Amino acid sequence: MPAAVLALTLAGLAVAVAGQGYTPFLLALVALVTVVGAGLNILVGLTGQISIGHVGFYAIGAYVVGVLTTGTAMTGVVNFWVALVAAAAIAGVVGALLAVPALRVSGPYLAMMTIAFSFIVEHVLIEWRTVTGGQNGLMNIAQPSFGFGIDGERSLAVLAVVLAGAALLFFHRLAEAPLGKAMIAVRDSETAAQAVGANPVVIKTVAFALSAAVTGAAGGVFASLMSFVAPSSFPFTQSILFLLAVIVGGAGFTLGPVIGAIVIVLMPEMIASLAEYRLLIFGVLLLVVLWLAPEGILGTLTRYLPQPARRTPEGSAFDLAGFLGDSARAPLIVRDLTIAFGGVKAATNVALTAEPGRVTALIGPNGAGKTTVLNMISGFYRPDAGSIDLGGRELAALPAWRVARAGIARTYQTTQLFGSLSVLDNVLIGLGRGDTGHPLASPASSPDRTTAEGLLSFVGYRGALDAPSEDLPHVDRRLVEIARALATRPKVVLLDEPAAGLMRADKLALGSVLRKIADAGIAVILVEHDMALVMGTSDHVVVLDAGRPIAAGAPAAVSADPKVKEAYLGSGTMAVRPRAEPLAAGRSLELDAVALEAGYGAVPVLKNVGLEVRQGELVALLGANGAGKSTVMRALSGLLRPVSGTIRLGGECIEELPAHLIAASGLALVPEGRQVFAELSVRDNLMLGAYVRTDSTLQEDLDAMFARFPRLLERADARAGLLSGGEQQMLAIARGLMARPRILLLDEPSLGLAPAIIDELFAVIAGLRDRGVTLLLVDQMAAQALAAADRGYVLESGRVVRADQAAVLREDPALEAAYLGGLETVE
Amino acid sequence: MLVTSALVSGICLGSMYGLIALGFHVTYVVSSTVNFSQGSAVMLGAVLGYVFAVRVGLPLPLAFAAALLACAAFGLLVERVLVRPFASRGSNAWLMATVAGGIVLDNAVLFTFGKEPRSFPPVLSTTPIQIFGTGVYPLQLIIPFVGLGVALGLALFLRRTRYGKSLLAVVQNADAARLMGIDVKAAIAASFAVSTALAGLAGMLIAPLFSVHSDMGTLFGLKAFAVAILGGIGSAAGVMMAGLIYGASEALITALFGSSYTHIAMFAAVIGALALMPHGLLGRAAIKKV
Amino acid sequence: MRSRFPARRLTRRAVLAGVTAIASLGAFPASAQESIKLGLVAAMSGQSAKSGEAIVRGLTIAADEINAKGGVLGKKIEIIVRDDESNPAKGAIAARELVQREKVAALFGGLDTPVSLAIVPFANSSKVPFMGVWAAGTPITRNGAPENYVFRVSAVDEIVDEALVAYAIKKYGAKKPGMILINNPWGESNEKGLRKALETRSIPFAGIEKFETNDVDVVPQLTRLKAAGADALFLVANVAPSAQVVKSLDRMGWDVPIVSHWGPAGGRFTELAGPSAAKVHFIQTYTFTGKLSAKGAAVLDALKKKYPEIKSLADVTPAVGIANAYDAMQLTALAIAKAGTLDGPKIRQAFYEIDSYDGLIKSYKKPFTVENHDAIGASDYIFTHFVDGEILPLTQ
Repeated sequence: MPAAVLALTLAGLAVAVAGQGYTPFLLALVALVTVVGAGLNILVGLTGQISIGHVGFYAIGAYVVGVLTTGTAMTGVVNFWVALVAAAAIAGVVGALLAVPALRVSGPYLAMMTIAFSFIVEHVLIEWRTVTGGQNGLMNIAQPSFGFGIDGERSLAVLAVVLAGAALLFFHRLAEAPLGKAMIAVRDSETAAQAVGANPVVIKTVAFALSAAVTGAAGGVFASLMSFVAPSSFPFTQSILFLLAVIVGGAGFTLGPVIGAIVIVLMPEMIASLAEYRLLIFGVLLLVVLWLAPEGILGTLTRYLPQPARRTPEGSAFDLAGFLGDSARAPLIVRDLTIAFGGVKAATNVALTAEPGRVTALIGPNGAGKTTVLNMISGFYRPDAGSIDLGGRELAALPAWRVARAGIARTYQTTQLFGSLSVLDNVLIGLGRGDTGHPLASPASSPDRTTAEGLLSFVGYRGALDAPSEDLPHVDRRLVEIARALATRPKVVLLDEPAAGLMRADKLALGSVLRKIADAGIAVILVEHDMALVMGTSDHVVVLDAGRPIAAGAPAAVSADPKVKEAYLGSGTMAVRPRAEPLAAGRSLELDAVALEAGYGAVPVLKNVGLEVRQGELVALLGANGAGKSTVMRALSGLLRPVSGTIRLGGECIEELPAHLIAASGLALVPEGRQVFAELSVRDNLMLGAYVRTDSTLQEDLDAMFARFPRLLERADARAGLLSGGEQQMLAIARGLMARPRILLLDEPSLGLAPAIIDELFAVIAGLRDRGVTLLLVDQMAAQALAAADRGYVLESGRVVRADQAAVLREDPALEAAYLGGLETVE
Repeated sequence: MLVTSALVSGICLGSMYGLIALGFHVTYVVSSTVNFSQGSAVMLGAVLGYVFAVRVGLPLPLAFAAALLACAAFGLLVERVLVRPFASRGSNAWLMATVAGGIVLDNAVLFTFGKEPRSFPPVLSTTPIQIFGTGVYPLQLIIPFVGLGVALGLALFLRRTRYGKSLLAVVQNADAARLMGIDVKAAIAASFAVSTALAGLAGMLIAPLFSVHSDMGTLFGLKAFAVAILGGIGSAAGVMMAGLIYGASEALITALFGSSYTHIAMFAAVIGALALMPHGLLGRAAIKKV
Repeated sequence: MRSRFPARRLTRRAVLAGVTAIASLGAFPASAQESIKLGLVAAMSGQSAKSGEAIVRGLTIAADEINAKGGVLGKKIEIIVRDDESNPAKGAIAARELVQREKVAALFGGLDTPVSLAIVPFANSSKVPFMGVWAAGTPITRNGAPENYVFRVSAVDEIVDEALVAYAIKKYGAKKPGMILINNPWGESNEKGLRKALETRSIPFAGIEKFETNDVDVVPQLTRLKAAGADALFLVANVAPSAQVVKSLDRMGWDVPIVSHWGPAGGRFTELAGPSAAKVHFIQTYTFTGKLSAKGAAVLDALKKKYPEIKSLADVTPAVGIANAYDAMQLTALAIAKAGTLDGPKIRQAFYEIDSYDGLIKSYKKPFTVENHDAIGASDYIFTHFVDGEILPLTQ
């Protein structure tokens, strides 16, 4: 890449020196827009912030050079080069100042703030007449000379090209440097960035200041090139064009701004002869470019480039204890931790001690406050009272990034990887612990890379190192997140439901990793619903209910505690719930699929899948992670289109229908992860479930639903996003039932639920079955699913490999080894 | 008198900003996108109103209705051509595309409608009436009521009706909305139609007090965006309130301190207000869990 | 089955790409012919588009007339138009492109003073005559260059402001006038001129208020001026904003004398401002209304013939732009003919040597000298107002 920039710069210099007519002038303009683009790319491409006010920084740079080189009473006439440095510096400082309020806002709010900024600059330039010359601007701005006959416009073209080359190299180096990676990390997940010790305030402020300084320097050269500036030289639309140069070229690509600048400077020149129609045609051409390359020209082109060969981590004998060093092992002592949200106490007097070298489990029903406690320990929430003591240091009320630097690392219920960064970079950022160094610091060293690889192999990650982490399958995300947490050399690791959504084999592997982590001397705090994992790996268990600790002790003692059984484990039997009466044969087909094939992009996921669900049946669909279960559900419900093959609902073909028409035909899917409308009330969620219905019995159904799920009635007017996981799952099912569907599809309903709730959930499902509702169920709790089901299908790599009566599948030893084994979890 | 006259002017203009800003609000709450050519839609409403009323010679109410319909159709076009191709891939290039669309529309109108400003037929704006020693056109008194009425209607529609709630569901979880049987594409398209129709309505309301030309909408669009953001773009009431506050402050600053610093003061206030209230006046943070 | 969609998308992209290619191909300039190229850099789009159109019309009518008589130096005049979008930077680029790529012999300028100011240093350094036909900023022609290539056939703000102040005092006996000015370079330039003209007479002003082109309501600003005791108003703004001032005054019920720059001269002022339009007295260099000279009648006929959309006098607008451009083109052609070459320095010299030209606006006698690059002087301004939609001169 640096070679490409160098070659472009040399080519530019040749044109600047030898070009005839107004070519050097145009080249200078292209180069200046490139410089601004490179500066703006720091914001747009790295921190992901959109600025529609960069013309303000450009104008500031231009006026600093204009005012200083034409002379003021205070400074006299200032040398051009000094003025140029001042332009960059002043713009940079203004950028840092603007960052202060801008940090608090995002999205359209940030866009508005930057627009307002550029208008303030414009009007200050107009009103501050004694300095800026007002509306009619500044004339006769100095132009530097390089000698050798290179002067005037030519010298500025040379300067602009050199500056452009430097700006591109700067961007390239920054993007590779730890600081640049940290900027991307903050964009992808600010929460997780803090949790590895990065301070988003500093990182975003630096990004703003750097971006503004680069833009200011370009403005300074622009003033000299034009030798005249006025407020109207910097119209608001110029900001949009700058942004366009970045987007059209490809945000985040080093060379993107070059291409963008060529498009937005040269395209209008090519159509200059259209005179009054130029702007019209330019607008149309911009649209055409956007339509052709919506991800930017480079973004679109790289999709056709061959992907580099994938590398996977090597070696498994990573010495974690050695990596951690002999930093003092210290216990984490939490006392009387209390927090309330809007009067609701989420945690009251929680106390626990996590000893180094031990796994401390924190369990409890959904909504018990487990994640809230983790959030307080990791500094994401500020506790109302209580102390968090790590080796004698008080951590309560410190910001998250300080807590992280003090030695507390964590993972999240929903993984929070830096999605656009590679797997390796995710871990490398952890290694840096937020110490990003200066903008031009060298990229991660080779020993660091080896360490990161070692950590990945330690946690059992076997996938590609350079794949963007957002493309990873579920299991691998969990593993990478754990590796990233370990990379910060923590004293304490907090793990929030690491086993959720994992199959049994993966859970076993995870359990041994947790053990190894503890054995290396780290205090592990584990929040988890999978009781087998909790009982198998923990040394100490703390049980929370309704924000209060109700029991603590050794795993066996805790699970025998009647209070714990009542609050958390439920009846503890995970009862098999067979039908009272066998289902009559000869029932009509409700839903069937024949030769179903579907996939994402070019990758087919489902191959020749066939299944059928008869009226009143409960059919279970089983398979490992990534076998294609959810893809089947998405294909059946119409969320995934196009598909090939046939899908019939009540005999009617629906494979070409979009989701909303399929829903109207009587198929309701309760999607994976509940997907309630978080900002709408519980009641509104239920009413929307009945959106397709036109009959007048809605209110009765609503009452019936509240009667069946009394917890929902209590919270009928609360925002659904505030419900606990179990409540949300009940809401999602109730919402699905409100449609009075001919068939209800349930995708992973037990995910993330406490044992007692899972028990309750399967009771509800069995109840629906007994009332004659036709059901298709996908669940990782395969044993429970089969216990309630009439028939089952087993999916492997997108193909149906078994189809049989549920009772037969239940007894199959091969299946049991692979997927079942859920039933023995508790007792 | 200085203050009352400024207040009357400001509230009238402010409710106009509010109307246009409601257009930003309605697309944002359904699709998280906004149409940056909203100012051009204001212009389109006024220009088409003029064309239908003066050049075609339709009776005013009919011309109004025809122009509103045309504005709504323009909104459908914006959504289909300038927003959907980008938003559906998760790209934010719709921002630039709608700006470019605005440039194209402004210039297309420039060459078809004409380069000269024209006068809209007066509607309740011939004889001023005296209120607190200030001359006011009856139309100026009506505009705030129209604005408040529309805001109230929109808020009731979105929060109280089934169809309104289904629109709100779309932005929170498009896939889940489709599973409920909601036609997501149609909902988003409808929101753009409503949005540009609101802008067109604002354009026609202001036209009798102003003049009609291809460039008239840009500044309105920009101020309305500021208003939408200030109010909290997710809240219709907040947006309308911010419109009134913005219009009144603008006029008061001009009346009390002179026009030199109006823009600097207003835009600085926007930055300050957002720094203090990152979600605007009545906006609220989305529920965020980790 | 799945390949169907990408394929369709590819086709659509191919079509779009084709459109782009054709559009950009068609945009390349036509090959050079045997003609004298003259360039115009003016606002052709946006809110000032009408001014650009008027200048093009004035230049074209004059060029057609010259070409019909055999052209200059035996060659036809060809006008090459570039849009500056009222942006000085764009104007500076366009001027370079016209001179260095199109090789124009002279440049004409447009409405915006900053754009002209941005072109001035380039015109002087590349020794290409630059003829202003509208922008009235004083420093455009008085730019301090040792070899000044900038000429102008248009008003000069300082001189206009002198005339406005003199008129307000003489006609209305103004003792404490106020200013209501458009917030753009033109308004600011006149603020300077009006202040200076008032200062030399030791007359205080009630206040200086600015407003934006798209301000609907100017009542707050006007109320301030009224409260400050203004007994007359100086108005500087284009047609539509001027009309907003008049409408706001109407609504306030404030009957105050208004002395205006030439902004309201656009033909639609009465339509926009209503009956009170007649109260505005504004300065003019030329109107096509009333009794026309032979030259005026001929130009009007030519305009109607060339541009069928001109149906009435109200469509000949803004008249000043057309008239200034017409005379500027004629004077430039005379200079080129006198120079006998397209060499910039020689043409510049030839401008000084023009003795007389019987023009549209007036009979020019020695229009340009080394000291004075402005062809229009203090005695060439007339005050006018609208009567029944027609601009009529006022007898002072």
